[in-house]
Amino acid sequence: MVFLIPILLYLLATLDAGFIGFRAAAGRNALIDKGDYYRKAVLRGVLFGQFAIALIALAGALMLRANAQGENLRYEFLAAGGRMLQIYLPYSGIVLIALALRLIPSVDLRSMTSVLVFGLFVFIRPIVAVAGVVWGLWPNPRWELVVIGGLILALMLSLENILSRSYETRKT
Amino acid sequence: MSQTQPPEMPEISDLIVSFDPNTLRRQAVSKMEVRDQFLRLGNHFAAKIVADLPDQNGILDSESVDRLLIRVHGELQRMSEEFQHGRRVAESLRPILETLRQGNFPKPLRIVDIGCGTGFVIRWLAAKGQCGDDTELIGVDYNSALVQEATRLASEEKLNCRFLTVNAFQLKDPAILLISTGVIHHFRGDDLVQFFRQHDQSSTLGFIHFDFQPSPLALPGAWLFHAVRMRLAISKHDGVLSALRAHSRETLVEAARRGAPGFAIGVYGSRLGKLPIPRVFHSIFGIRPELRESLMHSLGKRKGRLEWFS
Repeated sequence: MVFLIPILLYLLATLDAGFIGFRAAAGRNALIDKGDYYRKAVLRGVLFGQFAIALIALAGALMLRANAQGENLRYEFLAAGGRMLQIYLPYSGIVLIALALRLIPSVDLRSMTSVLVFGLFVFIRPIVAVAGVVWGLWPNPRWELVVIGGLILALMLSLENILSRSYETRKT
Repeated sequence: MSQTQPPEMPEISDLIVSFDPNTLRRQAVSKMEVRDQFLRLGNHFAAKIVADLPDQNGILDSESVDRLLIRVHGELQRMSEEFQHGRRVAESLRPILETLRQGNFPKPLRIVDIGCGTGFVIRWLAAKGQCGDDTELIGVDYNSALVQEATRLASEEKLNCRFLTVNAFQLKDPAILLISTGVIHHFRGDDLVQFFRQHDQSSTLGFIHFDFQPSPLALPGAWLFHAVRMRLAISKHDGVLSALRAHSRETLVEAARRGAPGFAIGVYGSRLGKLPIPRVFHSIFGIRPELRESLMHSLGKRKGRLEWFS
């Protein structure tokens, strides 16, 4: 658990950043074959995501170091992370299943995943992000956890805007 | 959108550009007139979008409008890609092309996409080689800026297709198959009948026009999709309105039968298999009656998708 929770959170954050990279790039390139364009966009999202994750990790590490009862705080971080996964894992699981279904070359199936999963889940993503953090902090909202939770939300929810703005800037 | 409701409510992109129907020359559009038209209709959202567009002495700046429309079409293409529209068109065209090949009609089999915009469908068909070497792929649109952009994109990918600023029904080498996407809801009432009437040229053997399908899920679905996918306010406004203005199967079939009596008419792909679940898109389909039997054979298992065919 000591390793599993942070690893899972890291993987989910990286996956989310990859999707953000894709969304920020979509609708800006009208060529037909643009696999490379999207691969670069996803990679860009992932790289920006790593920067955000590093910031969160750094903030958490500084708090652990500054706290006299570092071991206790580490336990609280893990407990909060475990509860966040209770929200984020099912959400990500459904998205991944929908993504896997899109590998089947069916117009109907792919359209349905767009309507029922990708559109809806992007729409509720901010709510899910907030719900995960609130659920994680609920039993023990100590200030260190609130700061880290706030940082996670700020970065998760602003990354798409930042990436989108970078495309707009490039264009001008 | 409070006073005038769809389908009477016009789309912004219909009003901010104007072309002489005979010469296709661009006509000046007064920003205030368009804005006031939306205000009279109670559509303050659209009025605000129009008011924010650049103008020169009260006339909408055509270059800015064209740049905006190219971006709108980029967003529309994203939707088409996500909904697999290229593949949908290819799957619908395949049995018709097979029928025409069996009939030994003169080659090339010329497919013309009406109101092609930046030419996604034609470019997709060309890029994926879905129609065969004996077809000619042409996209036409009144807006020369969109046609230029389509040409540029096709050239960048070295695609075997072309785009023209011309009336689709007045081509020097007329279409054998006419197709369109999201165009027919722009024609209302008698204009829709007139649109189909123009199909009845001796060289034209068939047509298939795709559009949103009205359903109880169309409004929430369109709103949600455009809210999360579209960046431009005009895309969000016109996209949702398009879904609301889409014609029912009954309207399309009636108009096509009145306008183009020389074709066997049907609706293709409106339901998900045998389930009573409507697809997002459906299409009005027409083919010369003498090709009907051959088409049914070419459709094979898919002939169940063709409804009300007569």
